[in-house]
Formats: sequence, structure tokens, C-alpha cells
Amino acid sequence: MLKYLLKRVLYGIGAICVVIAIVMIMIYSLLDRTRVFAQDAVYNKTASNQREVYRNTKWEEFGYLDFVPYTDYMQELVRQGEIDEDTRAAAASIGRTPEDDSPETAEFVKKFTEEYESQGYKVQRLDADVNKRGKLKNGGQQQLFAVKDRPLAQRLVEYFGSLLEIDSVHYVEEDIENRGLTFTLYDPVYEGKFSPAIIGNGTKHKYLLYCDSTFPYIHQNLATIRLGMSYSVSTGVDVFHSMTRTQGSYVMRPTTFPTGLQEDSADDLHTATYLAGSRTSSMIYEDRFTDDYTVVDTVRSGLSKIGYSFVIGIIATCLAYLLAVPIGILMAQKKDRLVDKLGTFYIVFISAVPSLAYIFMFKAIGAKLGMPITFDVESTSKLIYVLPIVSLALPQVAMLMKWLRRYMIDQMNSDYVKFARASGMTEGEIFRGHILKNAAIPLVHGIPGAILSALVGAIITERVYVVPGTGNLLTEAINKYDNGVIVGVTLFYSVLTVTSTILGDVLMAAMDPRISFTTKDR
Amino acid sequence: MEYDYSKLGLSTQELFSRQDHSDLESEKITAPRYSYWQSVFKVFFRKKLNIVILILLAAVILFCYLYPTFTEYDRFGQLLSSDAKHLMPGAAIEQFGFSIKWILGTGNAGNSTFDAIWNGARISVSLAFICGVINMTIGVILGAIWGFSKKVDTVMMVLYQIIANIPYILQISVLVLILSPTFWTMVFALTVTGWIGIAYSIRTQVVIIRDREYNLASRCLGTNTVKIAMKNILPFMTSIIMTLLAAEIPSYISYEVFLAYIGIGLPDMSLGRLIYSAESAMVTPGWGFEFWSPVAIAIVISVVLYVTGQSLGDASDPRTHM
Repeated sequence: MLKYLLKRVLYGIGAICVVIAIVMIMIYSLLDRTRVFAQDAVYNKTASNQREVYRNTKWEEFGYLDFVPYTDYMQELVRQGEIDEDTRAAAASIGRTPEDDSPETAEFVKKFTEEYESQGYKVQRLDADVNKRGKLKNGGQQQLFAVKDRPLAQRLVEYFGSLLEIDSVHYVEEDIENRGLTFTLYDPVYEGKFSPAIIGNGTKHKYLLYCDSTFPYIHQNLATIRLGMSYSVSTGVDVFHSMTRTQGSYVMRPTTFPTGLQEDSADDLHTATYLAGSRTSSMIYEDRFTDDYTVVDTVRSGLSKIGYSFVIGIIATCLAYLLAVPIGILMAQKKDRLVDKLGTFYIVFISAVPSLAYIFMFKAIGAKLGMPITFDVESTSKLIYVLPIVSLALPQVAMLMKWLRRYMIDQMNSDYVKFARASGMTEGEIFRGHILKNAAIPLVHGIPGAILSALVGAIITERVYVVPGTGNLLTEAINKYDNGVIVGVTLFYSVLTVTSTILGDVLMAAMDPRISFTTKDR
Repeated sequence: MEYDYSKLGLSTQELFSRQDHSDLESEKITAPRYSYWQSVFKVFFRKKLNIVILILLAAVILFCYLYPTFTEYDRFGQLLSSDAKHLMPGAAIEQFGFSIKWILGTGNAGNSTFDAIWNGARISVSLAFICGVINMTIGVILGAIWGFSKKVDTVMMVLYQIIANIPYILQISVLVLILSPTFWTMVFALTVTGWIGIAYSIRTQVVIIRDREYNLASRCLGTNTVKIAMKNILPFMTSIIMTLLAAEIPSYISYEVFLAYIGIGLPDMSLGRLIYSAESAMVTPGWGFEFWSPVAIAIVISVVLYVTGQSLGDASDPRTHM
């Protein structure tokens, strides 16, 4: 069994890798990359050489290619100590045409060209764009840069390599004092009350392990899942982070900052991360912090994107099973009677009618009954959850009813049921003890999938009721060409699907002793 | 030869009479006449509801394809006259005089909602039929091969797992963006991987039926695989294919509506686009008709197609013919 599962998991991981590779080919190679600029105002304002540079910078941000301008290369040389600042200043500015270069510049340009061409880059030199009178046109400055498309293999390896980020004390590159970890029983955030925490210095996160009053009470920042950086949907935030961080209005509460300053603030000091030189950059930070761990998340009143999707999805799934199982049984028991006919009508309606249409119908009916029809994160009323849950549950009810009824009717005609009846068991006993038990097995297979798909969210329901959940993330990312988010969300989806099929099989095998996945047991 | 039966104490009726051997007669097999397709239609038309549904289906299809050819539909009909927009049916008839065109009022450009929904329905129904036929053909043929060959099975299972994991919206939107959105690119996007689900369910059925005793016997007697597939298995599959088709065609209408709603649909005013663009009208009092008409027509078309397919599926199962 274990061996079989391991094989399934490995196959699953393989399939996920291929899926990610295909998605990467689709979005990075097949799609026309100039579409990124369709709604870019800056792009339309720039012209000539400047536009060319702008294009490449953007493409680098979106992850299409690697882009190295000559000036960056020179600065990198200074940072590595190969040349000093004066040499850089002398050689940094290139001439309008290659012939205009000063000898120092020409030497470094040659070096730059050779170095990057050997790495497979394409070095481009754009001569100054001048008008007839010899003046530079708008954005016509001369440019020198190297570009290289990222190959798929490298992109894949880099992506999977950066999935799990483990924090270490060597994260901070600058010199800082007392690099290392400290363990304290009295978390400074709680002003000396008992609360164990591990605090790092030199790490990315300040608090690597800490306790607080929210589930699961002990939190860690040691390992962070990174699904991919968002570029346009939520700029500079990782997909996983944007799915799991809380939303809504700030929760202000009295906070004591490391300097001892007491203030009402929504900052969550436990999430502090390092940003070099940030403390001295602003007066506010200087008042509050004693080190460069100044980048903090805020505490907000609402749930996260996953939170809203999951709460709605899970209640809808429970409700669906609670409704569908008794109705399905009743339909099978009263086959061809009124209950069965009404149920079948409902099933036909849900299977045939476009989902958008019946969700709109539920919305209209809900509005007539005085339910709130748009989701408001700030609202304290639980009624806002009613319509999304109902809209999600009712179609599920139809599908479950359909299958349960069919499985039960199949079982009713089987020989063992006739035998049970002949041996004098009551109809009730046969239904509960035999038919239901056997008919439930295929349904059990779908339970993990139903629970996990609640995390993914429902696109239409969330759009119609304006729920801030995960369902819209993919469509939003597609509309905004946010490649990082598309890849991240796809990975998230495919991991969930693979897990739920494996869990479903395991659950089914646990329920039904006849099912076995090892050939030996058969 | 004549016997005197009464001498033996027997009556004439009880005795056998002699029959001479006839080659012609011995070749005849007496069984009730049975024609598969005749029985299918007999069973189908036995239910009165099916006749009603069929008439409804014919009416819908006639309206979809004939009505737009006889009338001139202009999306921006009365764009310039501000008093012609968002009219209720009563007001529209009052303003333009009674005509079938105005019985559902006007839309946000003063256009006739009635014309709009039939134009939209024609596009959506065509899309659904074309996609359904393409996916069904590829799905059934590949599904049958998939079910028969063990080698193909291993390859296809891997392919299935991968394709099933790529978000469908992503596939469609990337394809539509690459090829620019037109009717035929939409068909392409919906069919390029859409067949695999059908192929998978056909494969499962083939695997179930493939190893039954009568097929085993057939194989032992030396029947080739193609003949087994065509004569032994295909008749079993007719009702399954019909039932699948019944669910499949309305699902494309549903997809089209869904895709239009999330903003990656067809450029033409299909049903989905109509619903999407009239969404704000749903909550605006007095504008209800321009939103609910396309929704209603989508519901009617899908339900009619679904029920027809299901009933045909039931009727084409030979077990219901007795």
C-alpha cells in the first residue's frame, strides 16, 4: 500500500512538473509579449531608444528575459572591487556612435560585449537618435545593453528551486553586528509576558518562531512557501502570501514598538522582515524600530482570500452532503413516484442550464427575500454568507443526488439484495445495512476533492457576489498578464487536484475492504 | 397412405400429420420483425412529453436560423434617440407600433431585445453544435482505441492526467489570445483538449464491455478487432454516446456564457455576451427584460437539447425496446 502510494505521489509530482512546463511555454513563448503594454500609459509616452529600454526592463520584470544595461554592469564591477569609482565615471557614458567612444569606454564596451556574448546574451547598441539639426530626439539617448531570453529548463529549475525559501542567518549581505539566533522565553512584543520565541539577527524574518492568540497558536517564519511573485495583480507580493494574508480594514490596537514607543497601530511586529538601510530612511521608522527589520504586515479585520473561499466552500459542501444524501435515498426508495420526479426535474435543470444563469436566478430570488447580494468584508452580519453558500451548494446537491440515486438503484437490482429480502430482512434493514453502504463508496471518493476544491474558490459565485476569494485570482492574472501569478495559481490548483485524487482513492480503499491497490493482495 | 384411425381408437386431431421436407421452409427463422432504429423512434415517440420537447426544439432551431435571416438586426439600432433605450415591452410597442420585434422591449442602444437574443442564440447554438460534433467524433474514436489497446492506455492516462491539471480557462484564454478571438478560434480552443473527457468516459465503458464473455467467445472464434468493435461493442455504446452528447451540447452553451462573463468570450453578440453586457440591468428596476430574456432563452435551449438527448439516449438502449 505504502509503495503504491509513493508511486502515485511521484507520478503526481511528475505530472505537476509537466503541467508547469506547459503553462510556462504557453504564457512565455506562445503569447505575444507586446500585449503586456496594451494598457501601459508609460510605454505609449516613451519613444525611440528609451522605449526599447523600457520594453526590456518590463519584460525582465515579467520574467521573460534577462536584461543587463551597460551602466549596471559597470556598477557591478565597482561593487566587486575590480575597478574604482573614478574609472567607472570615466568609462560609464558611451558615445553617440561607437566611433565617438573615449578609449576607456571603448575598452570596457568591448569587455562587456565579449563577456555577455560568451554567456549567450545578445548585445545591442542603439546609436543616438538625432534629428536633422543634430539634436537628440525625445528618448533618443544612445543605449547599450545585453538581453537573453530565459530558456525553459532554467526557468523551471529556478522556479522549483525557489518554491520553499528557508531563512538563514546569512540572508543579510551587509555587515551587521551579532549575527545569530536568540531564544527567549519572554517575547519583547508582549512586553515581558511569558511567551517563547526565536529571534534572528541576520535572517530575513526577525521572528522565526513565535506564539500568539490565533490558530494554530505557534507560528514560524523559518520556511516560507513562494509560489511566484506577482507583478501587476498585487505588485511585489508573492502569490501564496497574497492568498493567505488578511484583508479588510486595519485593526488598531495598542502596540509597543522596539524603541519603547507606545501607539495604536495595526502593525504585526511578528512579521518584521529586513530591508537594508530602511530605518534611517524615514522618521517614523526611526521612532519605532531599533534595527532594519522594519517591513511589517498589518493586522486586518477580515479573513484571507483562501479564508473566505474556504469558509464558503466548506459550509456549502457540508450543506450539499447533508441535503443530497437523504433526498437521494428518498428518490431511490420512491422510484418513479412524485419525489423522484421532482428530484429528477431539479437535476435536469441544474445539469442543463448554464451555471451563470441559475446563479443569477438565486441572486434575484435572494434579493427579493431581502438578502444582502454583495459581499461586504466590513459587515458584521452573517447573512452575507447565505447567498454565496446557497449558490455553491445547490448545484452540488443536484450532482450528488443524481449519482447517489443511480448507485442505489443499481444496487437494488443486485442479487445480494434479493437474497437479503428472501432471507426475511426488512426493507429498512436492507436499505441502511446493505444498499446505502455499497452505494456510498463511490461518493466517498469525491469528499477530499470537494473539501480541497473549496480552497480554490468558485469563479462565478465569487464574481457575482463580489467575494474577495481566490476564485478570481487566475482570471484577474490572465487579464493583467501577470505571469508569476498564473504559474503560481496553476501550481496551487494542480497540487490540490493531485492530492485530492490520491486521498479519495485512499479513503475509498479504507471504506471498502474489497478495493486494494497492491496486486499481491488481490 | 390412408389409415383408419377409428380402428385404433384414436381421434384424428391427436395425431401428427405428415410434413414433407422443404429446403426453402427450413431456412426461415420465425421471430418478430425487429428494426433497431424503428424501435428507437417507437420508444421515443411513446412518451407524449418527448413530442412536445421535439416540437419546442424544432421551433427554437427554426427561430435561431431563420428569424435572423429575415430581419435586419442592428446592434446600435436607435443609438441616437435617447428615448428608445431600455424600454419595457409595453412602452416599446407604443413607441414603434406592434411588431414581433418589440415584444421584449429594447436594450441599452435602443436595439430590439427580441432580435438580439435570436442572433445571439444562433451564434451560441452553432458553437455548441460544432464543438459537440468535433469533440464527440474525436472523443469516441480515440476513446475506443484507448480502451482496446493497453499500450495506448498507459500513454493516454499520463496525457489525461496532465491535460486535466491545466486550468481550462487558462488553455482557452491563451489560445484565444494567441489566435485573436473569432468564432473559429473559439471552436478550436474548446476542441483542442475538450475531447479528452469524452474519450476517457468512452474508454471506461469499452474496458468494461471489452472483456465480457461474448466478446471473449467472439475473439476465440477468430473475429478481428475491428469487427468486434463495430458489431459487438458499438451497439452497446449508442445509448451512452447519446447520453453524453445530451450533456455535452448544453455544456458548450454554458461554457460560452461563462467565458463571456469572465471577459474572454467571442467578439460577436452571443448569448453569453448579451448576458454579460446586460448584467447591470438585472438590478435596475424596469430594465429586467434585456437581462432576463437572454438568460431565459439560454435556459430553454439548454433544457430542450438536454432532454431530447437524454430521451434519445434512453430510447436507443435496446433493453427498453421490449
